[in-house]
This record gives sequence, C-alpha cells and structure tokens, in this order.
Amino acid sequence: MRRRFELPKKSSTFALNITSMTDMFTILLVFLLQTYSTSDVQIIPEKDMRLPASSSSTNPVPSVKLVVSKELVKIDENKIASMKDLNFESKDIDPNDSNFILPLFTELEKLSKDESLKETPAIKEGRILLQADAALPYSVLRKVMYTASMAGFPQLKLVTLVGD
Amino acid sequence: MRRTKKIHINHHYEFELDLAPLLAVMVKLVPVLLVSSAFVQLATIETQLPQVVQQAIEKQDKDEKATKITLEVKDKEGVKIVIVKNGKQNIEVVPKKSDGTFDYVNLHLRLREVKKQNPEVFKVDLSPDGNVSYNDIVHVMDEARRSRDNNVKFPLFDKTKNQEVQTDYMFPEITFANTMEG
Repeated sequence: MRRRFELPKKSSTFALNITSMTDMFTILLVFLLQTYSTSDVQIIPEKDMRLPASSSSTNPVPSVKLVVSKELVKIDENKIASMKDLNFESKDIDPNDSNFILPLFTELEKLSKDESLKETPAIKEGRILLQADAALPYSVLRKVMYTASMAGFPQLKLVTLVGD
Repeated sequence: MRRTKKIHINHHYEFELDLAPLLAVMVKLVPVLLVSSAFVQLATIETQLPQVVQQAIEKQDKDEKATKITLEVKDKEGVKIVIVKNGKQNIEVVPKKSDGTFDYVNLHLRLREVKKQNPEVFKVDLSPDGNVSYNDIVHVMDEARRSRDNNVKFPLFDKTKNQEVQTDYMFPEITFANTMEG
C-alpha cells in the first residue's frame, strides 16, 4: 500500500503585513481631513437641482431652509407647493397679488408664530437660506423674496456652490 | 579591581513595529470623518431685502446727496449701470456678447472704473428683468462684489485707526431693488 503524503506540521499563527494598509489609511485620513466641514449648518442639496456657482465663501448660518427647484418648493423637509414650467402653479398665487405665494406665506407665518421657535435667532431675525435652481428666472425668486418679506423674513441668504 | 561588564550592542538588530493599534485608531477615525465630510462645498451670498416698513423709514432718512448706483440687468440689452451723483444721472450699458450671453469681463472692468470714481459707495441696487436666470444674477453679483485683480485696490478711510486703508471690495452690499414692484 502506498503511503499518503503528509505535510510537515507547522504553527498555525502567522503575522499579517499591515504596513501597506496603514499607508492607505494615512492617505485616506489626510484627504478626509481636508474635506472636513467646519460649518455648523448642514445643507443637503436637493436631488436634480443645479445651484449657481459663486466666488463668495461665507459660511451658512442657522436659518429657515427654503428650497425652490424646478419641480417643487420645500421648507426644511416639507413640500409646500409644486412648480410647473419654471413657475408657480396658478392655484398657489394670490388672485389679488401676482407676487404673493399663498402656501409659502402660510408656512412662514406658522413658523414665525410658533412659540417654541420664536426665540431662535433664525426666526427672530427673519433669516432664510434659499436654495434655488440656477435655471429659474428672476420672476420666481422675486415672488419668493416678496412673500418672505411680507411674512417677516427680510434676510435672504442665497446658497451657492463654491468656485467660479 | 572590579571589572566592568561590557555591554554588547548589536547595531544590525531589526525589529518590526506593531502597527495594529495605529490601524485600529484609523479604522475608527475614517468613518467619523466620512460622515462629517463635505464633498460639495456650499457658501451663501447675503442679501438685504427691504421690508415694507423698513423701506418707508429708509425713504424718509434717505440722503439725497449720496451717490446711488443701480445695475439693471436686461435680458435683451445687457447690463445697464445707472449712476445718480449730485442729482445728475449717468447711464452706461455693457451690451451682451454676440452669442447672447452677458459680457461679465467687460462688466467687471466697467464696475471697477465706477468704483474708482466713487470710492465711498459700497452699496448697489440690483434690478433684474423677470426672465433673467438666477445663474446670471449670481454672476453679476460676483462681478460687482470685489475686484478680481489682486493689484487693483480701492482706498477706504479707517476712522478707528485714523488712516487710509486699501480694500479689494467694490460693492459688497447688494440689494434687490425691484422686489416690491408689481
């Protein structure tokens, strides 16, 4: 009978070489530290929305977040109106004032009258952080500004991408 | 006499550094930084909106002698720079380029000249047409805000230090003038 070949018995422990992995993590750490955000306000750009680029580098401050995209209008995460052909739907516009957006005014007024939010600087000073699509015409923005101003939010901060 | 013990140092001795704890720290740090990283950097442009009441008060307190500069962004013509100084109105037009886009380079050069002539003015009124895109408005604001050429500075008198300082800011305060118009 033929004898079976047996491997010599060795110790089962072995040392993993992690030097290259440590190198990789060091590079990754440096890259992530560079992109680390120090701003106290987190802005998540709306899906399919193209913000305009600007040379301004002012960090955003806590404010009421208003989003005006090609499809909808949102305050924080709540959709308040829909857009059609780069304009507001006629049902959302006050019949007596073509610049007045009814759902936007209602929502902003609700925020300004909220007892729990009344003392926050964003509401107190009437600050709005506006994320608007770059393709929108000024007439849409004017309506937003006009309504916001009427609702007691005169300070409008336009969110832009950094870079020329 | 007691003999001193000779210490033998092996200069060719090699040892492997234990990188495992360092790697453990990095593995914990990477997810934390990944969560708080901003891959798209966002900033804000500050604008002051005239409130209805504020507007009325401002109108009363308005200094008639102060130079007033308005940028009228016209969809067809281009950018109209309207300067009202000592009651006299001067209009300059920066026309659009042949491809139909705004001539930002020329606009910036014109605004630089306007600033040189009126170094005390830091505020401009912006009055765009309804069909001008938001992108173009932001571009015009960018051109007006500060000088792009680092060698071009404008004098400004610092009252606290009682001396003249140089600044690259041209018109940092931009107000949308036609917000309340119908």
